[in-house]
Amino acid sequence: MKQVIALEVNGERHEIAVQPSATLLQVLREELDLLGTKQACDAGGCGCCTVLLDGRAVYSCMVFAMSAQDKKITTIEGLPKDGKLDPLQEAFIQAGAVQCGYCTSGMIMAAKEFLTSARAPSDPEIRQAISGNLCRCTGYHKTVDAIRMAASGR
Amino acid sequence: MGISGVREFCRPQSARDVVDLLAKHGDRAVLLAGGTFLHGLFARGLGSGVEVLVDLQKAGLSYVKAANGGLALGAMTTFRELAESEAVQKTAEFAAIRDALQYPPAQIRNQATVGGCVASASSLFDLPVALLALDGSVKSLGPRGPRETTLAKFFVDYFEHSLEKGEFLTEVLLPKLPPRSASAFLKLETNSNDLALVNVAVRITLDQAGLCRDARVVIGGGVGKAPVRAVSCEAVLKGQRPSRTLFESAAQEVSSDIQPVSDHRASGQYRRAVAKVYLRRALLRAAERLGVEIA
Amino acid sequence: MSKMKIVGNRVLRTDAYDKVTGGKSYTVNLRLPGMLHAKLLRSPYPHARVLRVDTSRAEKLAGVKAILTAADVPQIKYHPVYFAPSTAASMVRDMLILTSTVRFAGEPVAAVAATRTEIAEEALELIHVEYEALPAVFEAAEAMKPGAPQLYEHAPNNVVMNPSFSFGDAQKGFDEADYVFENTYRTQRVHTCYMEPRVCVVDSDTSGNLTIWSSTQHIFGLREKLAFALGIPVSKVRAVKPTYIGGGFGGKLDMGFLEPVAALLSLKTGRPVRLEHTRYEDFITTARNPFEVQLKTGVKKDGTFTARWAKSILDTGAHATHGAVVLMVHGFFGFLLPYRCANQKWEGMTVYTNNIIGGGFRGYGAPQAAFAVESQIDEICDKLKLDPIEFRLKNAHSEGEQHPFDPNFTLSTYRLAECLKKGAEQIGWSKRLPAGAGNGTKKRGIGFACQPLWVSGCVGFPDIYEHSGAILKLNVDGTVNLSIATVDMGCGQNTVLSQIAAEELGVAVKDIRVTYADTDTVPFDAPSHASRVTYSAGNAVKAAAASAKRRVFQVASGLLNSSAENLEIVDGRVQVKGAPANGMPLADVVKRAESPCVNMVPDGMQRTPLEEKGTIMGSACLAPASNPSPAAVEFVEVEVDTETGEVKVLRVAYAHDIGKVINPPGAEGQVEGGLQQGMGYALMENLVFDPSSGACLAADFLNYKMPTALEMPAEITCQWVESNEPTGPFGAKSLAEACAIVPAPAIANAIYNAVGVRVRDLPITPEKILAALGKLDPA
Repeated sequence: MKQVIALEVNGERHEIAVQPSATLLQVLREELDLLGTKQACDAGGCGCCTVLLDGRAVYSCMVFAMSAQDKKITTIEGLPKDGKLDPLQEAFIQAGAVQCGYCTSGMIMAAKEFLTSARAPSDPEIRQAISGNLCRCTGYHKTVDAIRMAASGR
Repeated sequence: MGISGVREFCRPQSARDVVDLLAKHGDRAVLLAGGTFLHGLFARGLGSGVEVLVDLQKAGLSYVKAANGGLALGAMTTFRELAESEAVQKTAEFAAIRDALQYPPAQIRNQATVGGCVASASSLFDLPVALLALDGSVKSLGPRGPRETTLAKFFVDYFEHSLEKGEFLTEVLLPKLPPRSASAFLKLETNSNDLALVNVAVRITLDQAGLCRDARVVIGGGVGKAPVRAVSCEAVLKGQRPSRTLFESAAQEVSSDIQPVSDHRASGQYRRAVAKVYLRRALLRAAERLGVEIA
Repeated sequence: MSKMKIVGNRVLRTDAYDKVTGGKSYTVNLRLPGMLHAKLLRSPYPHARVLRVDTSRAEKLAGVKAILTAADVPQIKYHPVYFAPSTAASMVRDMLILTSTVRFAGEPVAAVAATRTEIAEEALELIHVEYEALPAVFEAAEAMKPGAPQLYEHAPNNVVMNPSFSFGDAQKGFDEADYVFENTYRTQRVHTCYMEPRVCVVDSDTSGNLTIWSSTQHIFGLREKLAFALGIPVSKVRAVKPTYIGGGFGGKLDMGFLEPVAALLSLKTGRPVRLEHTRYEDFITTARNPFEVQLKTGVKKDGTFTARWAKSILDTGAHATHGAVVLMVHGFFGFLLPYRCANQKWEGMTVYTNNIIGGGFRGYGAPQAAFAVESQIDEICDKLKLDPIEFRLKNAHSEGEQHPFDPNFTLSTYRLAECLKKGAEQIGWSKRLPAGAGNGTKKRGIGFACQPLWVSGCVGFPDIYEHSGAILKLNVDGTVNLSIATVDMGCGQNTVLSQIAAEELGVAVKDIRVTYADTDTVPFDAPSHASRVTYSAGNAVKAAAASAKRRVFQVASGLLNSSAENLEIVDGRVQVKGAPANGMPLADVVKRAESPCVNMVPDGMQRTPLEEKGTIMGSACLAPASNPSPAAVEFVEVEVDTETGEVKVLRVAYAHDIGKVINPPGAEGQVEGGLQQGMGYALMENLVFDPSSGACLAADFLNYKMPTALEMPAEITCQWVESNEPTGPFGAKSLAEACAIVPAPAIANAIYNAVGVRVRDLPITPEKILAALGKLDPA
C-alpha cells in the first residue's frame, strides 16, 4: 500500500505517495521526473545513481525512499546555481571528461561530496573518491583531470 | 523484483520500539540498517516473504563512544562515522578498523553501518574480521532484555548469527586493550569495489620486554563459513620477539587453521597462499605501528 | 591542403553541456502517454523443449494488457546482426522472437505487457511453463564430439561454419624454418558493459506502422532486422535515432530479444510499449566470444616468418549471431593480414554450445587473435634472443605496399615504424631489463604489442555495409543542420562530424547542429562500428558539405559579381578569393536564397533571380574507397607482486598512425577508454558460468569485475603519427578498435618481462601468475 511522504529534493518539497518498497532512485526517476539520475545496475555496483543525501554521496538504488524523509536530497539537476553550472560540471566539459555521459551524473555527484571536504586533493585521493563509480568509456583519465581542475579552481 | 510483498515501512523511535515491532511482525519483518546488504539481497530476488521493513535510523543507535575503557559502537553508526572517530583515526590498537574502512567506495562508507555489516554475518565482509581481531562482542536487545555475545560466538554459519528470534543487534563493544597493542587489516580484492578474496586482521600486544604477550589472527573472505580465528598462528607468536622470521613462521601455520573454499573467483589453494603472505604483511604493519624495529 | 581552422583543434564536445546537467535524451528516459511496460520470461534451463505454457493466471492479473508466447509470434528464423542484410550468405538465421526450444539459460519463452513494470514482473511469476529438459553442452570441444547434444539440424556436430584459407604453401614454409613454435592461447567471455541498459519503446498505429526508439548502434539495421523477423516490409518500420546512447562498444550492434517482442505487444495493444533490460538480462544476452587459438609459426634464425598456421575455435553459444563474422574478422584481420608471410594457413570453427550468445565487442575477433599472435612473437624473440621491435618491423608491411586485403588499394600511408619508435622512447624501452631480472618482492616489467594493420568492416568484405549518407541544410541565421543516421555512441562522433562539416563549410563548430534523424528522413548509413565513422561517415559529411557549399557559391556569385569558382567561405563569410573585403555573411546568402522572389527595397519592388531560390542544402551518399589501415602500438610498464601475483599497470605509452587527428581530446579519450576495456580483458573480466547448469555466476558488477579509477594507471600518453591519408576526410584514418585490442597482449608481454612467466589464457589473474611462478601448492 502506498504511503504519502514528503521529500526535499534540490531545495523543493514534494509530497508524494510511494510504495514502501520503492527505492529513492525509482521515486526520483518515476515520480519526480528527475531523469538526470541514472539506473544502470540497480544493485549498488555501478554508481550511476549516486545522489547526495544530507550532503553525503549514496547509491540511490540502495536507499528506500521512505528512509529519505527529513533529509536533503541533491541530484545533478540541483547543482547549477542561479543559472550557472557548478564548477565541477564546467570542469567536466572543459576536461573532456564526458563521453557517452551515462555515468556522468553519478560521477559528478560523487566528486561533489568529495570536494566539499577535500582541499587540494592528490590524484590517488581523487581516484579513491570515484572508485564506487564505473565508467566504460573514458578510462577515468579525464575524469580525474576534471575533478583536479575543479578543486584547484576554487 | 524480490520485495513486492512489502506492505509496511516502520521507523521506530527507540530500540525498545524495535523489539515490540519484531514481536508483532515476527518473520515477516526485516530490519533495515544502512541498506546496502539488504538491497543487494533484494536485487537478487531474495526478499520474498518480507512484508514489513523496520528502519532503525531513528532508534538512537548512531554513536561511537568510550565504554569501559574501550569503545561502544552503535549499530547504526556508518562506516564513515566510525572511520572519522578519533579512536579509529589515531590509535594503533584500533588501526585494523581504519584499514578495513579504507577499502569500500565513498557511497558504501556513507551508507553501510557497523550493525548491518556485522548482523549480515557474511563471511566475505571486512569489518567483522577487524572487529574479531579486537575481541569485539555484540550487544543485543530482545524481549528478555539486553545481552552480550562475543563475536566469535555470534558468527555461526554463512549469513547466520546466534541471536534468537525477536532479538536484534544494538551495539558492538570493543574492550580496552592493554598498552602496546596494535592491529592491522589487509584485503585482496580484484577491483576496489569488491568482496574480499581473502582478508586478514591481526592484533599484537607486546610486554615490557618487547615480547609478544598476546596476539589475535583472523582470516576471512572465503576461508570458512565465517571468519576464522587462526589459533595456531597466535600460538607461534605468543611469548616471542617480533621478527620477520617469527611472522613468517606464524603465517605458515595458518594452513592448519583454515579450509579455504574454491569458487569462480579463486581456488582454495590460492586463498591459502595469499592468506599466508597477507598475514605476514599485516603482522609487519601492526609491529610498525608499535614503532618496533623488525629484524 | 590549406591550413585547417577547426580540424585538429581541441574542440569541446557539442553534447557535454547537456550531459553534465543530467543528459535527458537517452532512450531510457523516453516516456509516452499510455505507455505499457513489458518483461520477458526466461528459461532457467540451458536446453529444453517447451511443452506447455499456461498464461491463464497471469491474464487475470489486474493491469496485464497482453501476453505473448511462441504460439503468438511469427515463427520466422532471423539473424539479428545489423551490419549485413538478413539475406546475406554469411548470416546464419537461427533465431525466433519467442521459441519453444530453448538453447541457453535465459532464452525468452514468453512476454507480458502491463501498466506497470512491477505488474509485468508479477505476471511472469504467474505464467506456468512446462519444460522437457534436454542434455546440454557448454564446451566447444565437447560439442563437436560424436554423441554430443545437437542444438540444430542444420549444424552437424554443432559446427556452424568451418572456413579455411591459405596463401602459399604452409608445409613448405615450415620445412624452410629454422625454428617452429607452437602454442595454444585461450581467451574468455567478456561483456561490453555499456552503462545504459538495452531499452526500447515501440509505438504502432492502426495501419500496423511501427515507430521504434531503441538504445542502438544502427537504426537502419534495426529497421531491417525488425521488419524481417515480423515478416513486414521495411517501410512499415520507422526507427528513430537515439540522441544519446549510454555506450555500445558493439554490444548494441544487433537486435535484442526486446525489440520484436515490444513491437508485437504494441501491435496487440495499440499502445506504446517499453521494455528495459535489467543488468542481469544485459549480462546474459551478449558477450565477446571466447576463443581457443592454436598457433604454429616457423621462423628463420633472423626472425623472418617462413610459415604461419592457426586454428581458431569460437564458442558462439546458442545462436550464431555474430559468431560467423567474428570468426572471419579474427582470421583475416587478426591473424592472416597484420604481418607479411608467404606461406600461411588458417582454419576457423564457429561452434554452437548451450552457452549464452555472443555479440559484437570493440575489435570484434581481433583481440583474441592479437593476444595469441603478439604473445607468441615475444615468446619467439625471447627464445631466439631477438629484439621484439625489430622482429615486428622485419615482418610488417611497409608504406607503399599493396594493401594485403584489397588488391586495388595501396598502403599509401602506413607508419608502424614511427609508432614503435615514439612508443619505445616514451616508455624508456632501452632501459628494459631481461625477463625476471628485477630484485625484490615486487618486480617491474615493460612490454608492448602492435595492431600492425587494422581494418574491420570495409569495402571488399563480403556482405558488410560500408556506405554512408548525410544531409546538410543551411538556416537563414547562418547555422547548419546535419541530418545523418550515424549514432554517436559516446565516442564523440557528432563532434567530429560537426568539425568536418564546419571545416568544409568555413563556419564555426557551434554553428553545426546534428539534428533529428530517423529511417524515414535520412539516407542509409552503416552502423557505428568497425572504427568506421570518422572515415566513412566523415567522408559523406564532407561531401555533403561540399555540395552545399557549391550551392552557396552559385547563389553568391551573382550577389558578389564573381564566378562561383572564385569564392570561398572563411569564418562564416562568403568572399572573393584574394579580395576578402568583397564578401557577405553566409547567413545573408542563405536569406537571399530563401527570400521571396520580389523584395521590397527603398526604390520599390525588386525581383531577385529565380535561380537563387530555395533552401540551400547539400547531400551525399557514398561508399568510401576502402578503409585505409592505421597502425597501433602500445607499450606498458607493470609491477607484479611475486608473492601474490597481483599486477599493477603503472604507465602506458600509446602511438597510432591516425592519418590526421580531428579532435585530440576525443582521440585521447578513445585510447584511455580502450585501455580500460583492454586492461579488464587482460587481468580480470570474466563472464563465468556454472559448468553444470549454464547459469551465469557473474551477472552483476559485484562478480563481474572491471577496472575502476584506482586500478587504472595514472600515466597514459597518446602520440599521434599524422600520415595524412589522401582518401580520408582531411587526412583522417580510424582509431577506436585498435586501441582496445593492444592492451591485453602488451600487458601479457610486460608481465613476462617482469617475472619471466608466460600466461596463455585470459584473464591473467593473480592466481595464474602465482601458479606459473610455481608458488601455488597443488590441490
